[in-house]
Amino acid sequence: MNSMAETNHVLELLPAYALDCLDKVETRQVAEHVAACQYCRTELRAFQEVAGQLALMAPEASPSPELRSRLQDRILSLQSTRAEPSASARIRRPLFGSLRPVGALLGLVLLLVLLASNILLWRRLNHLEVLAGPLGMRAIVLRNTAAAPQASAFVIVSSDGEDGVLVVDQLQPLDADHEYQVWLVRGAESTGVATFSVDENGYRGMRIEAPESLIEYSAIRITIEPTGGSQAPLGSEVLHGSLFNP
Amino acid sequence: MKESKPDDASLIRLIARAKTDALNELYDRYRRLVFSVALAIIGDLQVAEEVMLDVFVQVWQRAGTYDPEQAGVRTWLIAITRNHAIDILRMRKSRPEANSINWDEVSMPDGPSKHGLEEGLQLSMEREGVRSKLAELPAEQREVLVLAYFKGYTQSQIAEVLKQPLGTIKTRIRLAMQKLRKLLEEE
Repeated sequence: MNSMAETNHVLELLPAYALDCLDKVETRQVAEHVAACQYCRTELRAFQEVAGQLALMAPEASPSPELRSRLQDRILSLQSTRAEPSASARIRRPLFGSLRPVGALLGLVLLLVLLASNILLWRRLNHLEVLAGPLGMRAIVLRNTAAAPQASAFVIVSSDGEDGVLVVDQLQPLDADHEYQVWLVRGAESTGVATFSVDENGYRGMRIEAPESLIEYSAIRITIEPTGGSQAPLGSEVLHGSLFNP
Repeated sequence: MKESKPDDASLIRLIARAKTDALNELYDRYRRLVFSVALAIIGDLQVAEEVMLDVFVQVWQRAGTYDPEQAGVRTWLIAITRNHAIDILRMRKSRPEANSINWDEVSMPDGPSKHGLEEGLQLSMEREGVRSKLAELPAEQREVLVLAYFKGYTQSQIAEVLKQPLGTIKTRIRLAMQKLRKLLEEE
């Protein structure tokens, strides 16, 4: 499987890729190759370090002193949002609302473990994309694409759609200039709700914090985007799935 | 006895545990560099400050995803800053001239740090080192690096702006990056 990656290196494109100045087609070609080729990934890191040095060429400037207090205010507001969710807030509520007795939480943990251990079996069976669980929860298996043929992932959504958990496995770690970005799709609109990286095994588990109930969305997509995320999904898609049947 | 400061990666780990002091320390270390990069790309003081706020809020929210194997903290921070600023630039579909890089500045010594702090001095020395390496590149190679890095142009756009064949621009960029890499590795 690696023969393509090994024989068709993209070394000549790496300097421009590190500067993010390739056209879209070439960007996608390099991103897909680098995800599968350790050699080119190492070379790319070297060019990214070079590109990072160019930052030092920016004329020296200092932000206004007030900016620090504005940053502190923003951080404080984020902290208070986490600590004291309002009744109407749909995001940042405790996981799965207030089911919250210990037994229910234990049940949830057990369910997650069971789901995780059975996910590959589900994919092999390939009969079910959505599985109904206890307490009205739904587990949704995502499909991988040619850009990430080994990847697997699933989403667990609470019965009211207010809470969701995403678990991915065997996604290639990306270079410093790129991250995976999660998109929720409604009609023609895609909303970026999170960016993430994976550990050396390609694993990551995270909450999905959406501006609306997950029931409102028809699909979820995961793409490769520049670090910090994009305004719209432009990079290679690695995983996708239907959330609630449109 | 001088108290040793945590390194950048340690600060990121502390930020991931919601330690605001660590975020303040990281802000102190990188505020000038982050702001300089944002301003050089955006060319507008107010927007550059908004970019900077967004960058440090992102660091606060995503510190747990930082992977030291992938990049150093500074490289990571600069990548977030540049990507965010370039996104804004591309949305505006305009490239500012204000505060843009003038290559005459490259060969000019920057002088001692205005801030007199240890980190400021170190940064000034690093700037000088990189500038001297860049000065060894032909002018046309430096030019394409600036257009790509600080203006967010693609190779095709650079070819259009400079009225040069695309192949020529691709070669310039590749040679410039390869030579700069070699020069920096020789340090």
